Amino acid sequence: METPITDYDEEIKNCSCSYCGNNCDDITYLLKNKQIVGVRHACRIGASKIINDQDQRLLNPMIRNEEGILEETSWDEALDLTAKLLYNSTRPVLYGWGETSVEAIKKGIKVAELTGSVIDNQSTICHGSTIQAFQNVGHPVMTLGEVKNRADVIIYVGTNPMDDHPRHLSRYTTFPEGFFRKNGREDRTIITLDPKFTNTAKVSDKWIQFNMNEDYLLFNALRILLKGQKIESDEIAGVPITELEELINIMKNAEYGALFFGLGVSQTLAKQKNVDVLIQLIEDLNRYSKWSMLPMRGFFNVSGFNIALTSETGYPYGVDFARGYPRFMVGETTTIDLLNRREPDFFMAISADPGVQFPGYSIQHLTQIPTIQIDTHWGPYTELSDIVLPSTRVGVETEGTAYRMDSIPLFMKKVIDKPENCHSDEWILNELYQRLEMLKSKEEK
Amino acid sequence: MEIMINTGTSVIQAFYEKKGSTLKDEYRQSAAVAFMDAKDMEKMSLNPRDKIKVKSEWGEVVLYVDKSHDAPHEGMIFIPKGPWANILISPETYCCNIPTYKGIPGTITKTNDEVLLVSELMNKVYNKYNLKEENLSDRPVYKKKED
Amino acid sequence: MEYLLKNGIVFDPKNNIDGEQMDIFIKDGKIVENVSSDAKVLDVSGKLVMPGGVDLHSHIAGPKLSIGRLYRPEDIRRGIKPASQEDISGFEAGFSLPTCPTIGYRYTKMGYTTVTEAAVPPLEAKHAHEEINSIPNLDIPTLTLFGNNWFMLKYVKENRLDDLTYFISKWLKLAKGYGIKIVNPCGSEAWGWGKNVDGLDDPEPHWNVTGREVITALTKVNERLGLPHSVHVHTNDLGHPGNYTTTLETFDCIKDIKKNKNVERNQTMHCTHVQFHSYKGTSWRDVSSGATELIDYINKHNHLTCDIGQITFDETTTMTADAPMEYDLFRLTGLKWANKDIEVETSSGLIPSIYSKHAPVSVLQWAVGLEFFMGVTDPWKIALTTDSPNGGPFIRYPKIISWLMSQEKLQDMLNNEVHNWAVNRTNLGTYDREYTWNEIATITRASPAKILGLNDRGHLGMGAKADVSVYDIDVENFDPTLKNNSAILENKLLNSKYTIKDGEILVKDAKIVKLVKSNHIWCKVNGLEKEEEILTNRIKPEFNKYYTIKYENYGVNEHYIKPETCVDIEYGGVICENN
Repeated sequence: METPITDYDEEIKNCSCSYCGNNCDDITYLLKNKQIVGVRHACRIGASKIINDQDQRLLNPMIRNEEGILEETSWDEALDLTAKLLYNSTRPVLYGWGETSVEAIKKGIKVAELTGSVIDNQSTICHGSTIQAFQNVGHPVMTLGEVKNRADVIIYVGTNPMDDHPRHLSRYTTFPEGFFRKNGREDRTIITLDPKFTNTAKVSDKWIQFNMNEDYLLFNALRILLKGQKIESDEIAGVPITELEELINIMKNAEYGALFFGLGVSQTLAKQKNVDVLIQLIEDLNRYSKWSMLPMRGFFNVSGFNIALTSETGYPYGVDFARGYPRFMVGETTTIDLLNRREPDFFMAISADPGVQFPGYSIQHLTQIPTIQIDTHWGPYTELSDIVLPSTRVGVETEGTAYRMDSIPLFMKKVIDKPENCHSDEWILNELYQRLEMLKSKEEK
Repeated sequence: MEIMINTGTSVIQAFYEKKGSTLKDEYRQSAAVAFMDAKDMEKMSLNPRDKIKVKSEWGEVVLYVDKSHDAPHEGMIFIPKGPWANILISPETYCCNIPTYKGIPGTITKTNDEVLLVSELMNKVYNKYNLKEENLSDRPVYKKKED
Repeated sequence: MEYLLKNGIVFDPKNNIDGEQMDIFIKDGKIVENVSSDAKVLDVSGKLVMPGGVDLHSHIAGPKLSIGRLYRPEDIRRGIKPASQEDISGFEAGFSLPTCPTIGYRYTKMGYTTVTEAAVPPLEAKHAHEEINSIPNLDIPTLTLFGNNWFMLKYVKENRLDDLTYFISKWLKLAKGYGIKIVNPCGSEAWGWGKNVDGLDDPEPHWNVTGREVITALTKVNERLGLPHSVHVHTNDLGHPGNYTTTLETFDCIKDIKKNKNVERNQTMHCTHVQFHSYKGTSWRDVSSGATELIDYINKHNHLTCDIGQITFDETTTMTADAPMEYDLFRLTGLKWANKDIEVETSSGLIPSIYSKHAPVSVLQWAVGLEFFMGVTDPWKIALTTDSPNGGPFIRYPKIISWLMSQEKLQDMLNNEVHNWAVNRTNLGTYDREYTWNEIATITRASPAKILGLNDRGHLGMGAKADVSVYDIDVENFDPTLKNNSAILENKLLNSKYTIKDGEILVKDAKIVKLVKSNHIWCKVNGLEKEEEILTNRIKPEFNKYYTIKYENYGVNEHYIKPETCVDIEYGGVICENN
């Protein structure tokens, strides 16, 4: 048991967490001498993000010197060089955005348009397939409060919120009292479908283990059973038919059902096709009962990026401005595909670490081209970056807007001062934009 | 032993990643780990924190091994997402933009090789700047501005 | 900056100016009596001059649009247009779901300066206001959804009209909303359980409250507060054959509620996209128009205004807080269905819709809309809308005008283009009305401004906002009644010669020459602060229990509404406006 923090002189309530797509907005920051010394209500990971280590903090702009060592420099030099490299490139990619504000993202979109860049976010490696399925089939979703207030049956498929979105069950879905579910947990049936016996499975009423990569079979079988048709074999995806029949009966008889799914569905073999069938299952269930679904979005503002990009360009991610107007073609204008084809000649990551997120084969291309990092902390990607621009933490040092996994917008506060020589992503991108405009007008003259 | 490699978020790896301590040993200890079914470990006479070399079509990497809490899942290992897992996963998107993070076939063998820190790993595997070993550490290495 | 708009042919119905050749003087963003010799002269001799266009019901900002764009990239692709070299506007994208900048460009070029976003759930109001920040060149009031809100349902159920009054007053401040929107009252809440309500008197299963009770209570509150706009109602049973009786009952249910004495508008209720609510029959097989009865009611009563929700024969996207109706459409068409239920407040849904000249139901709907245009004798009781993008995108307004102004065109469509249900199942064929420019100016400017209670616009009287549109149409020499002129007319109205907003030229010769930030227009009731505070303190624990965000993070703060026009309303007093 950790000891509670008593040594603080200021409390800031109702702050929004900057970790996952739960965007918990009931966090209290405890301050001493204008520094955060503790947090209340946050989960372990959220707390670690809010009070994070400062010894790996990026504090000054840096450019890599001839020996290959990053060397501190002035903002002007770092920004001028970044602008020049970006302006002179033909296939730039601006990637990341999941952990910054919508305000910064909008500046980034302007930079992308001006430079003919591809702008893309973590959807490209996470729930992009989910978005494709929405585009194929449909989009029956809800806000989390609908689940809290109404749901008597909740299903988690290929996701483990107890580890990845720790307060999902306790704050939003399973445990809290809801308007129509006064007894909270007791009034609900929780079912987890996962190849592994996850921590979420452990707190569920029922765990259905199915074979890896057989999601597509499994969901189709459920649709077949819902329609009252027979399945010849005894088991599907490693699950006995009787168990599937029992499951579909629970689903069909729910008063309000909610299904959450994660990367275990969207990243396994059939990818968007898995989600296609899952959506169709939800649609079918609405003939009998009320069902909605929601992808478990990871970073606190991946959803916000999709929304901002659709507002500005029409498309949710992987937008290519090479022709001056937006194009979106899955597999063509998306980051990993571009890197695998060795196309980009400039790469900038904004509040994201490709070193943590990308396959090695894709990362290899980053050793061949100029790479820029805009972030708060030294990470694997810093080891591959030519220029480093130190930024600030949204929701802690900088205010801004983020969208929760269910697209509820939240205004995130500035609570403490930023390190002296760091600047917000929005500021950095605005500075870049102005330099790029100058380069453009010079050329036009 | 032939196994299926699965990657994804783990709570401990995410904790250190968000804390911003990716260079340090604590991050290595949390992310450079293959979680195995205890039965599989027994078959290979592995104890927790032993080291294994994991190979896939895309590369090889040395990892600690540990007992999975999500078992049973014989024939499958789980590696938290991060620079170590990335070496093994498939870049294949099947033209659907998402690389293949889950369900990669691979093999494992026991080893005495070292599990590398992030800076060592990034420079050894990608070698963008040809850095000398003294420039690699569990702390940021950079040149301060001369005033 | 001063302007002299010289020798145009002016249509300003509010000031009884019906096609007079005259000069318009503009100074400091207002219409004035005269200008100095420094004024810039814009020679618009013989050209069509009207007040800036006012749209009182459109869907242009907020979560519905985002979902639409996200799941319909095919619609985005349809509207791609690279940025032109001679224009300062950027690229365009989207057809029925244009991007935010595109919405601004297209409305501005059509000569519109005020557009109402008709359905904003307070929980996601920040989203709507954030999108408004990306739409250039318009004044945008937003209507706040209240028709299925749990606090409202509770106060109605317990007959606590005072609390409801304070609640609405407070919630408009939180959402930075302009007026009260009611959508399928009780039906969208029933959709929380996959159900709907059937008509005005079918109670929602849990709350045991009816649509009638909600509409009358909110109308009373609206008039007590003296909001500039009346309640804005999307009645129950949208899109169902036989629904015209529900619509008639809705028209009638508030007729005895007294209008606040301080407001200029005539109506106590605005019924929106009435076309979708005007069908007889029991199924899509035996459906026919119910417009005649409704038109008759509208013509005989003055407490009511409508907009049409005209169908335009496009592949478009429907979006509404009437989610059960969208699921019905999904069952009917099988097209991809989107649904989003929003805790404590509303549900909502979307589905693509393909209105075809060869499909009997589409044609019936098209004809019903036109029946209203033809049948309602007083143009001040209606406004031109497509419920954009539901009946068709707003860029089709000029096309609709071309139909309204030419019987030759309309008869040609009835005889040669559209399915025979237009003639056989509606009374459209019995009308021979042709709209005059004055009537067009009424239903696109004067009337919607008056209905909204935005009395500083929709006309060109002294002191009015200098929102003016000029079209490259020589009024004397151009005959809009000719079928052969329809396409020309449409094109001229799509591409204004001048669009002037607040005395600034935004469009010149069909090119956008200036981009300004859109204005957030919202209503602030003064005088109930204490009551609101007591109510809020009481609500907070419940709020924090049933919402999933904290009350403290709920409201739209200043960050999102720059620049704003706050319409101050003194409770029990008069309305005054300031910027």
